[in-house]
Amino acid sequence: MSGHGSSLEKDLTSEQFVQFRDYIREHSGIHLEETRIDSLRISLVTRATRFGFDSLEQYFALLSADEGEFRELMNLVTINETSFFRFPAQFEALRTFVVPEILDARSSAVRSFRAWSAGCSTGEEPYTIAMSLLDAGIESLGHRAEVLGTDVSTHALERAKTGVYPPRALLNVPREVVTRYFEPTAAGHRVTEPVRQAVDFRYQNLIKEPSPTALMGNWDVIFCRNVTIYFRIESTRRVVENLFESLNPGGYLFIGHSETLTGITDRFETVEVGGVFLHRKPAPAPVTGVSLPETVDGHNSGRDVRAPREAGHPEQRPARLPRVLPAEQRRPVDVAMLLETAREASGDGRPHEVLEVTRELFALESENAEAHLLAARAYADNGDFDEAFASTQEALRIEPSRASARYMLGLIHLRSGRPEAAIAEFRRTVYADDDFALAHLNLGNLFRSRNDLRQACHAYESAVRALERSPDGPWSAFLGGFDPDLLLVTCRRTLDECRRLGGHG
Amino acid sequence: MASARILAVDDSPTILAMLEEILVAAGYEVLTAEDGAQALESARAEMPDLILLDVMLPKLDGYRVCRLLKFDQKYKNIPVIMLTAKTEEQSMATGLRTGADQYLTKPVEPERLLEAVAAELGKAQG
Repeated sequence: MSGHGSSLEKDLTSEQFVQFRDYIREHSGIHLEETRIDSLRISLVTRATRFGFDSLEQYFALLSADEGEFRELMNLVTINETSFFRFPAQFEALRTFVVPEILDARSSAVRSFRAWSAGCSTGEEPYTIAMSLLDAGIESLGHRAEVLGTDVSTHALERAKTGVYPPRALLNVPREVVTRYFEPTAAGHRVTEPVRQAVDFRYQNLIKEPSPTALMGNWDVIFCRNVTIYFRIESTRRVVENLFESLNPGGYLFIGHSETLTGITDRFETVEVGGVFLHRKPAPAPVTGVSLPETVDGHNSGRDVRAPREAGHPEQRPARLPRVLPAEQRRPVDVAMLLETAREASGDGRPHEVLEVTRELFALESENAEAHLLAARAYADNGDFDEAFASTQEALRIEPSRASARYMLGLIHLRSGRPEAAIAEFRRTVYADDDFALAHLNLGNLFRSRNDLRQACHAYESAVRALERSPDGPWSAFLGGFDPDLLLVTCRRTLDECRRLGGHG
Repeated sequence: MASARILAVDDSPTILAMLEEILVAAGYEVLTAEDGAQALESARAEMPDLILLDVMLPKLDGYRVCRLLKFDQKYKNIPVIMLTAKTEEQSMATGLRTGADQYLTKPVEPERLLEAVAAELGKAQG
């Protein structure tokens, strides 16, 4: 999932650019200007990394042999790389946890909250950050939002400064946010004055050194998503090092959802907030008596999750706006019908249809946990774990104790190489529903892979007991059509093996 | 054919464990892979006698794995059974165009799976 760790050369030579550009033009009619080289490179590296290829030549061979892969690549090439509220859970974490924590610990002399969006492209990210800061109520707490967006593309920056976006850029933005923070103009939707006031743009190349002194230091948060995809490992290390130095103690670095800093730096503390992994520059012990969250990188005392906190002064924050349409605009029959269609498509393994149908459903009723979960599974089936993660988070926000959603989150962590987080979620799954046999089974496998045979056997026993107790349940949707009886036989065999290994056979 | 080597590919460890259960009980040796890229790598390195391939896989979907193997002289003779939850004819057609030797729709009965495996191994033996 993450960009590093693979030996893939992340540079795109101009010969390679021409090769891919010509192939794309020949097969799609789309001509990529030289200025798109970087965006093409990111798309290519993203796809090639997914296959574990060592070189873009290997990827070219696949691309030219496979129409399906060509379509996948074109999806990446043609979408707007950034959008408003891309991975909303990160902005939720910023609003409900990071801002209150930083402001709580801050001396009253400092009256601004500074955020840097590094690699901001056409400005969606810095504007989203500004909206989140305003939503966190920082102004009513007497602070000013100062957001800076930087990029290497002057064209992108020119567009960013206008703050005007076509309708499709706003597709993922909840309607109430559009109403509050955008105004319709002839050219498109324009970001409102208070948000534009908070955001400044400037040209900057992240790997050019030395960094301008104005950029060094005093940032409360830095967003630099996809940094591990953008650069080669040595450059990534340098860039991340600079970002670390530029943050205030206690400040946070936001990287892409699927990226990790493992192998790049160990200077940050990892903090999980509502399922989102954040990277904090260690701060000296706070003087205000505010307790800091436990970290999840080995220094915690068993508890590894921090629920999002409400802001320091909730009465001054704008009330959370409803995401459900008013009742008269809802059509329950259609929702039920769409849900049924989505369930069927999911059961038949048609993820694209699931996504289409759930999209329609969300237009009628966005607060439907089951639909978000179906969408999550569809995304996961398509290999898009970032979106799967975001959809699962939505399902859990609506229905926090839904065991299938917890289980799904565990699977996503597992497939994204985060076994510790997977264990935590599978534990929560069985806490919500002790009969969820698959969660016990996965726990067993995880413990066994760590050579903790005692805990592994215990988990397998729980799986067998759960299956004997309830031979069917919501978990059977994850069985791929196999009979639960076969799962029972499998669990028993695995338990026997585990006992033999542990010498209890 | 008692110890033919079968590469089973599915992204769910649970389903892999169940496939393994069925195949080992029938006397086959089983290799496993959890994504398309791993499947390709394992197929190329291990030259299994048969591949049981799920369609929905991370990194490289089953169709593509199959197509890449079937387009390669070295591997095209390894029988591939596609295992999928898809029911529509459309998918079936795509499945066959990839050069898969058989197409089994989930839920698949263990007996039916073993019959298909035995049939394909028999064909491959000539």
